[in-house]
Amino acid sequence: MTTDSERDELPTDISIRVPNIVLRIFRSWRKFPLSLHIGLLILLFQLAVALLANTLYPQDPFELVGMPFMAPGEDPLFPLGTDILGRDIAAGVVHGSRVSLLVGFAATLIATIVGTTIGLVSGYFGGWVDHALMRLTELFQVIPHFLFAIILVSIMGADLSNIILAIGLTSWSMVARLARAETLALRELDFVKISVVMGGGHLRAILTHVLPNALPPVIVSASILTALAVLTEAGLAFFGMSDSNHVSWGSMIGASRDALLTAPYMTLIPGAAIVVAVMGFSLIGDGLGQILRRGHRI
Amino acid sequence: MSNPRTSILKLRRRTFLAGAAASLVLAGRSFADAPVRGGTVVALAHPGEPNVLTSAVVQTGQVQSVSSKIFDGLITFGDNFEIKPELATKWTTSEDGKELRFDLRPGVRWHDGTPFTSADVKFTFESVWMKIHPRARATFAAVDVVETPDPLTVVFKLRNPSGVILGALNGLESTILPKHLYENTDIQTNPYNIKPVGTGPFRFKEWVRGDRIVLERNPDYWDAGKPYLDQVIYRVIPDATARYAAFESGAVQYGTLTPISLSDLGLAQKSDTLDVDFHGYEWLASAIVADFNVRRPPFNDVRVRRAVAHAIDLKAFVRVTTRGLAKPGTSPVLSTQTKFYAGEGLPEYTFDRAVADQLLDEAGYPKKPDGTRFATTIDWLPFGETFQRFAEFARQAFKAVGIEATIRNQDLPQFFRRVYSENDFDFTISHRAGLGDPQIGIDRVIWSKAILKDIPWSNGSGYSSPEMDKLIEAAHVAPNEDKRVELYKQIQVLAQRDIPTFTLAENKQFTVSSKKLRGLGTGSISVYDSLKDAWLEA
Repeated sequence: MTTDSERDELPTDISIRVPNIVLRIFRSWRKFPLSLHIGLLILLFQLAVALLANTLYPQDPFELVGMPFMAPGEDPLFPLGTDILGRDIAAGVVHGSRVSLLVGFAATLIATIVGTTIGLVSGYFGGWVDHALMRLTELFQVIPHFLFAIILVSIMGADLSNIILAIGLTSWSMVARLARAETLALRELDFVKISVVMGGGHLRAILTHVLPNALPPVIVSASILTALAVLTEAGLAFFGMSDSNHVSWGSMIGASRDALLTAPYMTLIPGAAIVVAVMGFSLIGDGLGQILRRGHRI
Repeated sequence: MSNPRTSILKLRRRTFLAGAAASLVLAGRSFADAPVRGGTVVALAHPGEPNVLTSAVVQTGQVQSVSSKIFDGLITFGDNFEIKPELATKWTTSEDGKELRFDLRPGVRWHDGTPFTSADVKFTFESVWMKIHPRARATFAAVDVVETPDPLTVVFKLRNPSGVILGALNGLESTILPKHLYENTDIQTNPYNIKPVGTGPFRFKEWVRGDRIVLERNPDYWDAGKPYLDQVIYRVIPDATARYAAFESGAVQYGTLTPISLSDLGLAQKSDTLDVDFHGYEWLASAIVADFNVRRPPFNDVRVRRAVAHAIDLKAFVRVTTRGLAKPGTSPVLSTQTKFYAGEGLPEYTFDRAVADQLLDEAGYPKKPDGTRFATTIDWLPFGETFQRFAEFARQAFKAVGIEATIRNQDLPQFFRRVYSENDFDFTISHRAGLGDPQIGIDRVIWSKAILKDIPWSNGSGYSSPEMDKLIEAAHVAPNEDKRVELYKQIQVLAQRDIPTFTLAENKQFTVSSKKLRGLGTGSISVYDSLKDAWLEA
């Protein structure tokens, strides 16, 4: 995360520097911090599993394929065992990665778009706009996000798009504050002012000058948000608020939790998948943060 | 039971020395079996928190569990449906069977001190049961008028003899409300629905929503000396594993209607501290059912309904979803209701996907290039995780014959609104109680006059058939019991043929209780035992 002292040293040609960072990311894999390496590998693996789900397990993961309550390894056909209804847990984990990734990315996208927009507008224009938007942001900040998501899902109904929307709408406040802080520093810089003086208009200044420069910390926070979104989805599903028509890791845990005492593997296996995925996103966030800090120094 | 104190005295008088040791042993044993006064039992509000506390207004399991401690009926059931006195001490049927006379118990008072009289019975019959009860219209179809010659006598004048009325007057099915608190009010919104005043062994103390319902001993109870317990506290524990943990730790001592998950049943049965009892559910005759909305396509076509019946492998259904505890359903009347069950001649729906495919083709729902025929929805009754599993099983069965079903999750009020108010559903996985007699349990789901807006557990399918109505109404006025039984056998066959409601399984429910909780009822309706004989071992 950038500190204020670092931000003070921002050179004025910052607008050219950011694309450089992006380029550098792809050029200098070896220079990456270890956490980013591991995080990206986990993400790539997860993407591969999600993309290949239909090849690996062409059958519907909801299909009742075996005897219920088969422990992992009991039958080589079902390496991770079967659940309460005799569904293949391995197939569930593989197909569940799709929903978890989808929820993670889509909810983060919503949170990032909403949060960045509000943060940019608020920071750029200041005054009463800033006041109004920041009070709104605080409103969203003070309500516990998970409880808020539960309320939204129970009002709107537990289908996948509502779950994504609920998670997205409850987690944008952090992004908004971050984007606003960046914008507050950026709007005072000469190239932004010059752009307006030259008749470019506020919208142009925001989109072409402020946004690209405010983005790096937002991207870092987005990867953390993705991890949180995956966790929130699992939490909602644990309380029965999942879309019964899509298998997700959270819904697998939710469906098996009343067998927790007799067949803990049913909840542990999808639980482990969640741990790995959340760790992956967190490591990416951590790694990007390190690069960002390094980027300022170079 | 002999008085333990006198038996000790006798022993001591007879043999002074040798008897001393023996008397201690004997005394110990008889003390263990003698009811102890006092103590609080924590019970489970299951399957969820009630919305009211009187089963005169809502007849759902969690309401009846609490209501049965607060309210009495005219009669109750012993073992094997033996009818026993409760608020009525005696009943006589006239020779022509057209008059049913009850002598009421003298000196009974409502919890607020007002005397209980025949006027309460007449009022509840006319203004509550016949107005807002989903089943009373069928049950009491033969009743012409209820008369109250004096405060302790109630006479049901009938148009024709009826075999269903006496048993239906138990406190669960026909809960009696105090006239002085309900007269000239809107029954469904009366404030006493949530702070009930009854005549039963326990009276209402407080209800902290989402947490507990507290009932305390009614010191003025007509059965002197009872109840033994000081308090019964109902707790809401939504999570199945937490419920089992609560039993295991002793935080909860009593739970009915399958209070723990089937995965934990084995643990409970092996436990040293818990009892599991499958008895007391005979009157309830619990069934897992699928109801079709016959008002609109696709299930307005009987061929589509039959196709679904052929597409669901009921044997696998009970094995997988209930771990073999339930039995595949064959008729709306359960095979355990031996008196009425038709057995022979019932249309059978063997599991056969080819037949299902053929029926769906005939009904005009051919397979499209993507392998599907039509899309539909499954709404499941939110009575715990098992019902969601029933729905998931059904969805997979549908899929195999090309029906794409989306499962919809909702809470109980939403489910009731969808099915019984808005009729905006295709297919539900639900529960149906047989309630001892098909005139009570079955009529209400297949009789056109039981299509009652906003009333849960009525004919939600919207099934209406003149042929069926004729049979049902003939059964209501059957001159004798044999004829009534015969008609109900025909009704089952027709219901199974038209299949507006598909009985998936004969459910087997159970009660879990602490071994320390003694004196629980054993009758055919003891799932809703009043706990007046229950006591806690010290």
